[in-house]
Order: sequence, then structure tokens, then C-alpha cells
Amino acid sequence: MLKLLDMSKKYGQTTHKYPFEPYILADNFRGKPSYNFDWCIGCAACGIACPSNAITIQLNDDKSKLIWEFDCGRCIFCGRCDEVCPTDAIKLSNEFELAVNFDKTALIQRGELDTQYCSQCNKAFSTKRLVNYSYECLSKANIGEKRLLEAKSYLNICQTCKENATGLNLTSGEEMVIE
Amino acid sequence: MKCDKFIEALSQRVKVLEVTRQYQDQVTALVELKDLPEAVRFLYYDIGGYLSTMIANDERQMNKHYALYYALSIEGGKMFEGDEIDQDEKCFITVKVLISPDTLTFPSVSTLVPAAVWYEREAYDMFGLKAEGLPDKRRLVLSDDWPEDLFPLRKDAMDYRHHPDMVNHNKEPEYKFHKPEGSGIIEVPLGPLHITSDEPGHFRLFCDGDKIIDADYRLFYQHRGMEKLAENRMNYDQMGYLAERVCGICGYAHSIACIESAEKAVNLEVPARAQAIRIICLEIERLHSHLLNIGLACEVTGNYTAFMHIFKIREYSMKLAELVTGGRKTYGNVVMGGLRRDMTGSEIKKSLEILETIETQVIEVWEAVMSDKRQIKRWTGIGILDKQVARDFSAVGPNARGSGIKRDTRYDHPYDFFKKLEFEVAVAHGCDVLSRETVRYMELKSSISIIRQCFQLMPQTEIFIEPELTVKPESYALAYDEAPRGENVHWIMQGSAQKIYRWRCRAATYNNWPSLRYQFKGNSIADAALIVCSLDPCFSCTDRVTVVDVNSKKSKILTNKDLKNFSRTEKNSPLKDLRC
Repeated sequence: MLKLLDMSKKYGQTTHKYPFEPYILADNFRGKPSYNFDWCIGCAACGIACPSNAITIQLNDDKSKLIWEFDCGRCIFCGRCDEVCPTDAIKLSNEFELAVNFDKTALIQRGELDTQYCSQCNKAFSTKRLVNYSYECLSKANIGEKRLLEAKSYLNICQTCKENATGLNLTSGEEMVIE
Repeated sequence: MKCDKFIEALSQRVKVLEVTRQYQDQVTALVELKDLPEAVRFLYYDIGGYLSTMIANDERQMNKHYALYYALSIEGGKMFEGDEIDQDEKCFITVKVLISPDTLTFPSVSTLVPAAVWYEREAYDMFGLKAEGLPDKRRLVLSDDWPEDLFPLRKDAMDYRHHPDMVNHNKEPEYKFHKPEGSGIIEVPLGPLHITSDEPGHFRLFCDGDKIIDADYRLFYQHRGMEKLAENRMNYDQMGYLAERVCGICGYAHSIACIESAEKAVNLEVPARAQAIRIICLEIERLHSHLLNIGLACEVTGNYTAFMHIFKIREYSMKLAELVTGGRKTYGNVVMGGLRRDMTGSEIKKSLEILETIETQVIEVWEAVMSDKRQIKRWTGIGILDKQVARDFSAVGPNARGSGIKRDTRYDHPYDFFKKLEFEVAVAHGCDVLSRETVRYMELKSSISIIRQCFQLMPQTEIFIEPELTVKPESYALAYDEAPRGENVHWIMQGSAQKIYRWRCRAATYNNWPSLRYQFKGNSIADAALIVCSLDPCFSCTDRVTVVDVNSKKSKILTNKDLKNFSRTEKNSPLKDLRC
């Protein structure tokens, strides 16, 4: 018993003063994912990767906005969203004090992104930012100016219209010329 | 090849219909239904195996039958020196039987091999498969008011989100506890919100005075239906995270076992560096779990000073986990094919410093605790787990090793990086609480040495290889690892389209519970909490105890304070005014 008391004397006080002084975390601590709306392009990679469905991405009722929503109450801090985000819009932060005062809506973060309408069928199919981002990536990819101009037009066409057009081209009997 | 010798021996005993190999050391033998008990008994006692897990499965979509898989770890009986199978011949043999959906019955193995009792009770709850001759036919997993004819894990039974209506509280069927005969027996219910366990468990202690003469218990109050959830909703990427949440302390061991069983089913070997880091994380988990348990074993007996010191050391191990994985409890870095997060040189350097601190302080505090005679007195001779009982019920982890059985999955079936490491299996022969705590202390030291060796031998390879997604439906495999409480065994059968067909997750404590009854016998109720603690179920919620005297119909509610006080001081029994 006395040996234990000796130990106390030897090591002195080891308790942290937390919460009156900040708690020091490891550099790569996995805390609450922080969301940077300005960088988000609405590609939905995080929503697909999230194992616990904490991140959901849905069109709103009149299809004018794509709504990105993060529910911290469902988050398991695995960091998959951080891993897959192409623009670093979502990053795990050091934040760990996540309790809310009986108000569960405080756990939810939202971002609303403008949707892009298809130039053919006028349906909402993507976000404006994602289309711009794709165009920027292509313009950095060292392709010809003419192809880039073409790209600008087909980026604004939705998947279904593209498929239909390809089908039509292939069955029309005309030869396609690839320059 | 491995296992062939044992299959040969088995086929001389019973008729083996078909032999299939799942992995280098895993073989399944299909036998006839009537031969099942004899086949399992032969492998268990004659060849020397331990029951690792039993899986019931609804295979009506494949072969119009239900199937049972009794997976035995063939490692030797280990009851005396030399009673062990050669290191390179140890393997897993699974005995498989098919059950017709018309009869839904199978001969019980429990009468010959007691270790199977819980598994067979569970097979009824989940699949409606009746074990003929099973002495204990009560429900195990599902609640007593669960509909009689709904068997949740049958593929056509229900949606995973469905929740049957609860029966009115008054009409709920009574669970029948096994009571010993005799007069003057006081029944002491502990729980369900109680004393020792995180997961609520209800213990019924039958006492004569303060002495426990028998015990019975009802667990699974928090059955979460994870297996059903995983089968219906999860893909392989998500499952690792779900498995990590099986347990609040040794979750990482579950996620490793779960992902490795999926890897083994497609014969995938992860890169050496990933293996080493997996081992490091598993051993860090063992550090904090064992420190927790030793601390609590002191706390239950009133030694608060030691408890505080040990928890101070535990904080270093939590810091270590935070440093190398980014999380204190959930490490979340396992994926099929390797790991998601590497370790950097500076992290390794810092970790070694922390390990140094942990090692010196652990030795210091253990010596201090051991020099305290009163503490030793409370631990010695308490909660005796007889070696034969441990053998019969396939006890695992420090529970078995404290009873002198040299069973350690890291040693018997070295997985991952363990083939390249050196370590001693900690064994103590006292069979009591002191032995189990000593085993834990020795394992703390060996864990530290294992982590150091891993850092030294750290291979410079990739940490992840892209798994080939050639899913082979109906292929299955076992994976196992040594969690702090013992061997965790996961079994996965693959389905089509990136989903599993069946996931059986067997936590270490599942094999330890059935023998707890024998550990209680003959001890004072002041030690009940200590005995449950030494088994190492998670120890967190403390509540109150109701005491009922069957004869005088007197009852009394003990507060947590009363019971803990009695547990600490062994004076002023709170039951004295109830005695007949």
C-alpha cells in the first residue's frame, strides 16, 4: 500500500486541467469532418463512400438545388469522405467537443448547390460547379482547342441524352470521323 | 497437406460424405446427421480440439437444406504436459451437416461436448432448428416475448428493419431460471442494469447465507441484430466498421477478424507492412484492455489508489492509439486488402517513447499491488475455474490460461505477422482471480515486446493491395485473432453482388459465459462482482441489486453503494436481516 503512495509522490499530479485549458491532440486526430462549401462541387463521392450514411446528397423538390447534408450524429469518424474528396472540401478536423444542447438540428450541416440543366431535355442532372470543374480539368489536360469546344457542349448534356445520341449515331448508317 | 491426417482418422470413425478445403489450414467434412455428435466428440476429446464456433445457416437457396457448421480448432487437449498437437499440424476442422427443412431437428452435441450448449440454443432462436436431447431448451438470444414462429435469420423471415410488436409487460412470459433444490436458499438477482457489465446481463445467484451455491444468468438484453444488418445492407467496405462496433473495448480485433475472413474466402494475402501494423494496433488494444481490467479488479475490492494509478498508465496507451491511428478507441483503418493509414517514422519514434513509459510504470504498479497482502488475499482462491471445466466449455483467453491451459490463438494459429515474432504464452496454474490477473500482467509485458519487435522489423512494403473482386458465391472461411479476452472467430460466407450471405461473429466472451456458473459456486456474494470482473466483460454501468428471500417473501433493494461497500469491506452484510 505504501509503495502505491510512493508512486503518487514520485509522479506528482498528472491530471489535465481540461476543460479550463485546451486538450492537446495528436496531429492526425480524426475529429469532426469540416466542410468547406466554397470548394464543394457536388460530385457526391463522399455520399457514396460514407459507410454510415451520415452524408446524403439529394435534389430538392423543384430540382433547382442539390442539397448536401451531413448529420454529425451518424458520423463514425472513419475519414472515408476525406479520402475520396477530389477538391479537399471535406477534411477531418481536430474538433471533438460535439455535444449539443437538446437540439439535434445543431448536428446537421447543409450546403445547397445550383443544379445544371441538360441542354437537350432540360432536366436537372448535375451541379453547375461539377460541370465547371470537369471543364477546368479538361482544359488543363493538354487537348486541342476544337476538342475543348466540343467538350464544353457535351458537358452540358445529361447521361440519358448522351446515350440516346450515341445509339442514334451508331445506328444511323453514317460513318463517324474521328479527327 | 495439413488436416488430412485428422480427416483420415475421422473417416474411420464415422462416414464422411464430402471433404472440402477452404484455406491451407481449414477443411470442412460433411457427415450424416446421425453421426454429428460422435464426429464432434471424436474431434473434440479424442483428437484434441476446442470448439471455436458453430454456425447455423439457411442454405435453402443453394441446396434446399439448412446447414450447421461446427468449427473446431485442432490444437490438442492441453490438459497435461505434451498433450498438444505439433505446431505445423494445428488446423481448423469444420464438421458440416445438412438439415432437412421438413424435420428441422438435429441430434444435440451438447450432451457429449458441453461447449456447444449456447450455440445450439442460439440455433433455435435464429433458425428454428431444434436440437434433440439438448438439456437446456430455453431461449438464449431473443427476448422471451419474441413471436414463437419468427426466426429472424432465415432468409425469408423478415426485413432487417422490422421489429415485432412488444408483448404487454404483464403478459410477458417468465424466463425459467434453473434453481437448485433445498430450503433456506436465498435468490439474489443481479442486473439487468448492473454492476459489472456494459452489456446488461441478469444474474440469479442462489445463496445459502452469503455463500453462492449455484447461479444462472440471462444475457443478450442488447441484441443488436448486426448479423442480419450486415447480410442485408452492408458491403465489404462497410462491414469492417460495423464489426469494429461489436465491442466497446476490443472492437479492432473484431474488425480484423471480420475483414480477414472475407480476405481468406478469396485467398488474398495482405502486404507485410499492413500485417505488421495490424498486429501493432491489436496489441495496443490489448494494452488498454488489460490495464482496464486489472484496474477494475483492484477497484472492485476497494483498492482505489491502485485503480487510479493503473488508469493513469492506461491513458498513455490511449494516447498511443491516438498517435498511430488518429482515434482513441475506433481505429477505423482496416479495409479488405490492407490498411488505409500508414505509420510515419516520427510516429514510430514517439510510440517507442510512450512504450518505455508504460513498461516501467506497469512493472512498478504491479509490484506495488503484489506487495499488498490484503489485495492478494482478496484475489487468491476466488472464482476457481477448474481445468476440466475450462476444457469442457472451450474457455478462451486469460480465463483458460489462468487455469493452466496453454491456449493462445497467436501461438496456436499464428496469423499475419505473428509467424515472424517471438513471444511467450502467459500461463498461470492457480485457476483463480489472481492467476487470471497475473496472466494479464504477463501479457502486458509481452504485448509491449511484440509492438517493439514489429517496429524493428517493420517491412518497407505497400500497405494496401487492390483486392481482386472475383466474388465466389458460397465460398466461406474462418478468421480468428486473439482479442484481449480471448479468441474472436468470424465466419463469412460470400453471396453474390458484393454482399455477404452469412456472417457469424463470435466474441471471445461468448465461450467464457457458460462456465461462469462453475466459477461462482462456493464463493461469497461479496466476490460475485469480482468474479464477473475477472472474466473481463466490459465493466461500466453500475446499478442496484434486488434481493428476494424465497421463503419469507421478504425483499430488499440494495443500492450500488451497499453492495460495493460489502464487496470492499466484507463486513456488515446487507443481507443479514433477510436470513432465515
